[in-house]
Amino acid sequence: MTPVAVTGLGVVSGFGLGVEPFWSGLLAGRSGLRPIERFAASGAPLVGAVDGLEVRAFAQTALARRIDRTSLLALAACRLAIADAGGLPASAPDQLGLVLGSALGNLGETTLFLDRLFARGAGNPLLFPNLVMNASLSYASIELGVTGPTALITEQDASGEAAIAWGAQWVAAGRAEVVLAGAADELDPIIVEVLRDTGAIDPSGPHPLDRRAAGCAPGEGATVLVLEPLSAARARGARVYATLVPHDGFSVPSPVHGWPADATALGRRLAAVVGDADLIVAAADGAPVRDRLESDALAVAVGDRRPAITAPRGAIGAFGSAGALGVATAVLAVHHSRVPPTLGCESPRSSTLDVVRDGARAAAVRVAVAHGLARGGVCRPVRVEAVGG
Amino acid sequence: MGRAVAITGLGAVTAVGPNVPALATAVVDGRCGIRPLELFTAQGRCSIAASADAAVVDAETALDAPSRRRLSRADRFALAASAEACAAAGLDAAEREATAVFVGATTAGMRETEEFYRRRRAGETARFRPSHLLGASLAAPGAVVAQALGLFGARSTMSTACSSSALAIGAAVDAIRQGRTRTALALGCDQLCRLTYAGFDALQALDPAACRPFDRERHGLSLGEGAGALLLEDAEHARARGATIHAVVLGWGTTTDAHHVTAPHPQGAGAVRALTAALADAARPATAVDYVNAHGSATKQNDEIEVGALRAVLGASLGRIPVSSSKSQVGHTLAAAGAIEAVVTVLALRDGRLPATVGLATPEWDDVDFVPTPGRHASIGIAASSSYGFGGHNVTLVLARPEAA
Repeated sequence: MTPVAVTGLGVVSGFGLGVEPFWSGLLAGRSGLRPIERFAASGAPLVGAVDGLEVRAFAQTALARRIDRTSLLALAACRLAIADAGGLPASAPDQLGLVLGSALGNLGETTLFLDRLFARGAGNPLLFPNLVMNASLSYASIELGVTGPTALITEQDASGEAAIAWGAQWVAAGRAEVVLAGAADELDPIIVEVLRDTGAIDPSGPHPLDRRAAGCAPGEGATVLVLEPLSAARARGARVYATLVPHDGFSVPSPVHGWPADATALGRRLAAVVGDADLIVAAADGAPVRDRLESDALAVAVGDRRPAITAPRGAIGAFGSAGALGVATAVLAVHHSRVPPTLGCESPRSSTLDVVRDGARAAAVRVAVAHGLARGGVCRPVRVEAVGG
Repeated sequence: MGRAVAITGLGAVTAVGPNVPALATAVVDGRCGIRPLELFTAQGRCSIAASADAAVVDAETALDAPSRRRLSRADRFALAASAEACAAAGLDAAEREATAVFVGATTAGMRETEEFYRRRRAGETARFRPSHLLGASLAAPGAVVAQALGLFGARSTMSTACSSSALAIGAAVDAIRQGRTRTALALGCDQLCRLTYAGFDALQALDPAACRPFDRERHGLSLGEGAGALLLEDAEHARARGATIHAVVLGWGTTTDAHHVTAPHPQGAGAVRALTAALADAARPATAVDYVNAHGSATKQNDEIEVGALRAVLGASLGRIPVSSSKSQVGHTLAAAGAIEAVVTVLALRDGRLPATVGLATPEWDDVDFVPTPGRHASIGIAASSSYGFGGHNVTLVLARPEAA
């Protein structure tokens, strides 16, 4: 299959808008977590919220003035990725595709719609179009003029990895010449309320892959990649960050709404994907059950090797699409030969794992794997390789 | 183009019955599953729907107790249809374990989620566990099906509104053609819920009476619920293990309108390109199409644009190609529509009996051969099935009888 090049990156995170604040923040070991400003909430002292996201800065059509937050996060990441790539490569209009992931979509306006429905018995016709899971896909396709294949992929905690893998698959298989692929999820009051009441938040901040892991910090954000065949990128002299190797992933026995119990079985299947990795970008976010599962599974998967491991959710917070930012981390690590530290990890759970702490590490990264893991037993690793590797 | 793709198992739960035989009889007899809404009280203009029976299925026993307790109606529809498709395909345990799962969903467990949220806001917190809200993921039905039936290949859930499960079928076709899996379950499921019901009603998209696709007197759609499932397989693999091949997928196409968040493109540009792309992918000319199972949602706008798109692609052949819509029987099942209609189309190819368009009395267009009630006997070789989603996501599938491939 055709090697797939990453030629543009758009990141929207608690660090700000764009790749630069995200990457420099991660490398410096800074936190993108802050107290919530956008709405009142208790029980979540620190969140990974995106500030200063203006509709008019990213939405140009009259229609898009009604855009919801999740869709705006996705659209912003699309526009930032296109700008980062120096514009979209020329292709026939039908040959531009778009794949967006989201775990929960437009939850904020869904609760507003339901509040009114329960109070008055009527739905709000102005809100309803925004509530479909594919609203972000619809808005971005209209704003960017994407008329080729499009898909909204939703896979709980692995929605980001799944959507990017899907986009890479479409490029590799020739379903489109250029694909924008990424994911977005928003933070809103109901999410904070639910996480707080289920004891999922660590008030002291997250400690991913650490013995003290006791909960996450809720976050939001988006990342979109510009993907095209490596040969096409080279022919037009484009900057290529890295290549993606599409992997369909696999699934393992698990409770439907929970995490797989057998870390060893998961680790054995993961070994085939991470066996030669120099870096693994972990999905750990400080939630104890998931962290333990991932830590134990990775220990099995890497065996005697000691690839570097980093978990960016300690700095950006936890949300269903955070894995898209994990893929961006893997891409940037390969491109810049730097591995950012894992914020909040001081005493790693596993002595087998080489968790990068105490500052960024300079290291040649030929192969990086962003590890996507979702409730219900889905595993979606995304393999990133250095160009010419 | 890669390997040929066979359909070796079918499953369906709809308002006209809990399985494929019930659907097969009903679509030809022209029975209508649209009736007064009983699941909840709707306070708008409309109070009918095509409700399905969420019966408990045997496969549930394979799930752990907490997963079983929290099954939504959509999960049950999905599981029943998938169990039927897998049983029909006759896969052994090892073949099941390697099977990929592609799901289309738009509401999934929304009805249960609404109820938990309502209780929470009403202060009835005693019976409310907040974790239920996070369990309302659209990915839940896929997890239920994979865990209960032991399908541990790759798994993906997609949501492009009413074309979601047609896209899932296309994704499964690509995975088999490219040799990424030998067997794949493509599934679509959705359940009736207050959110979509009130939303479509507020947009004045619902017909207060049972919907009438392509009729001059059509006034909107009728919502439905259920699931459709197809077991897709590398044709060579299917033949080698002696499986019955009900039909084959010749090709598919997907395009985007990039026009409006709810309204379709006025000239149906995306629909035209989806059908054209599907035929190109199938390497068949427009003249090869023998039957069209239309999206036919029965809204003023959709049916007009869809007929225009068929005319644009099929040209002079259109008058001799039978066209029907199954939504007047099973309702518009949103994410399930593409898969249920693909099942209906496979049955038409396999059994040589064309489904009726119930409620169609006075067709608005006289240059189209709509199939009224009852259906008709006709031997067809190649059929197209189209699905168009909110937000301008169009998918067309081209299916064929094995001997016509």
